[in-house]
Amino acid sequence: MDLFRLFPPLKWFVSRRWFQFAVIFPTLLLFLLFLLAGTFGSPVGNRNIIVVFVWILWWFLLISVMVPFASRIWCTICPFPFFGEWLQRRALVAVRATDPKQRKKDEGEPGILVGRNRYFGLNRRWPKALSSIWLQNIGFLALCTFSALLLTRPIVSVLVLGFLILLATVLHLIYRHRAFCSYVCPVSGFLSLYAMTSMTEIRSADADVCARCGDKGCLAGNDSGWGCAWGVYPSKLDRNNYCGFCMECVKSCPHDNMALNLRSFGSDTQLKGYDEAWKAFIMLALALAYSVIFLGPWGFLKDWANVSESHEIGGFLIYTVVLWVGALVVIPAIFALAVWTGRRLAGPHEASMKQVFLGFAYPLVPLGLLIWVAFSLPLLLVNGSYILMVISDPFGWGWDLFGTATVDWTPMIPQWVPYIQVPLLLFGLAYALKAGWEQAARLFQQNSQAMRAFAPLAVVLTATVLCFFKLYAG
Amino acid sequence: MNLVNQARKAIDPLIVVVFLMVGGVVGFLAAPDAAAPQERQISIRARQYAYEPEVLRVNKGDTLRLSFISEDVVHGFFLEGHDLDVKIFPLKPDFEVTRPSNPGLIERVQEVVLTVDKEGKFRYRCSHTCGYMHPFMQGEMIVAPNRLFPASIGMGLGVLFGGLIVAARKRTPA
Repeated sequence: MDLFRLFPPLKWFVSRRWFQFAVIFPTLLLFLLFLLAGTFGSPVGNRNIIVVFVWILWWFLLISVMVPFASRIWCTICPFPFFGEWLQRRALVAVRATDPKQRKKDEGEPGILVGRNRYFGLNRRWPKALSSIWLQNIGFLALCTFSALLLTRPIVSVLVLGFLILLATVLHLIYRHRAFCSYVCPVSGFLSLYAMTSMTEIRSADADVCARCGDKGCLAGNDSGWGCAWGVYPSKLDRNNYCGFCMECVKSCPHDNMALNLRSFGSDTQLKGYDEAWKAFIMLALALAYSVIFLGPWGFLKDWANVSESHEIGGFLIYTVVLWVGALVVIPAIFALAVWTGRRLAGPHEASMKQVFLGFAYPLVPLGLLIWVAFSLPLLLVNGSYILMVISDPFGWGWDLFGTATVDWTPMIPQWVPYIQVPLLLFGLAYALKAGWEQAARLFQQNSQAMRAFAPLAVVLTATVLCFFKLYAG
Repeated sequence: MNLVNQARKAIDPLIVVVFLMVGGVVGFLAAPDAAAPQERQISIRARQYAYEPEVLRVNKGDTLRLSFISEDVVHGFFLEGHDLDVKIFPLKPDFEVTRPSNPGLIERVQEVVLTVDKEGKFRYRCSHTCGYMHPFMQGEMIVAPNRLFPASIGMGLGVLFGGLIVAARKRTPA
């Protein structure tokens, strides 16, 4: 179902040249307000808008609403690449395009021609060796190692978010297109993975139209739109992972052939590299670690993670080693053992270890997303009343702009949280088992073989969910 | 043949749901009964950012005589689902008790009595900003029989077995 056909005003809106500026600019202003509040406002996290809005409200909306329902819609409005892209294009709204027939005439023009668009900066190609999400995997894990500081100290949030916007700007000036978003941004990494589950996608409406198209404006750019900043060719797009929902292809397609499709949950089912599989392992490990540290009762673990206040360097090192080894080695090893056992049980077959490993890693995507939703839910329900407080007093300076600054901390139905988390996890498990079975049926010719190969994976997926039951309800 | 396949497809989720429910009921019934209610004297120490004891294991019907002390700064003790919020002062045996259902009424006491009338897992959380990690300062009161946990284990295993049976029913296409 094409939402553009269903709601023509939506198509009109995203087709405007000013669309992306109009949606990024408000988030940029909010972002700048957050940076100011984080720098000059209260150092207490739950009294400062940067911590409350970013780590309670934004995080919940991102993982529970935006990603499952609207794919990478966050990338559409994300302020990180704003300044870099502006400098790279030297335009906020307009397009710089050169007609191929006029190319010689335009040779003296400033900037570098990429496709039919003219860019500024060095416009180098991103190194081939780094063209994966490994950098994002490691960067995200490194960032999350310090999450107890990030989530509770406004100034740490300022430093990290400020650094990311600076890095994005610098990389836009060195590398072409959105290299930062595609290969470096730590948020983008897990968005790319979980966007696979999303119930919306941007695709070409008719592949034949693309095949016959001589313009290829979606990729090369034209005077209606910039060439895809993510380097994807919409006609070949078969997964949401690396489509940033910027809507440029909707503008540049000369045949009005782009569709915003509504689809069923978890429609993209193929992981294409170990980097993506490891992203799934890392996200699972982090969900487990956060559930233990932030939602658990164990004070000594909070002290270890909260190293700058507790000064428990030894504990922090133990926590760091356990987190990294768990995420990069132990969880993948348990998973690999299940895959290896499954292949052995299946008997003679033609599926390689890599094919089975990547195929069987896919169920961790819907399961991981549901686990993150279950983890994030109590953060919002329990601490949501802080949102009302900081709206009226964003800096924690004693203002009362909207009369809500003195609202008491009021957890919403906290005693019912486990009763919501359990069904979420059960849904995730059921979906993961379904996805795992479909992968097995695809990889093994005989159903009896597929069944034997699938069984160990099914046990591992179930055991994972039982661990979360213990943490949330046990 | 298509109709048969469609019928099989429609039955698959039903099989999983039936196993989920059976597993849930079995788990629910298998939960060990709580011991006879008793009176317990419990002293809770609060510090940045933990409670001692971290986990309280009690039985439904127990009467808890709770006392509180803070080792460092002012802390709170908000018990989920039990209309109890306590303000704990550093190194002082008396504390303030409020009822979230009637927040205007504040009592200053050295002991508060709580009859545990609900089963399950309830977190107690700090309700007074006490430092950086304040939002994550919490403990757990697990009231036996905590039937949600064994029921959820049963449902999880039900989904697994239901899923395996659905998979086993599939036939290799000719």
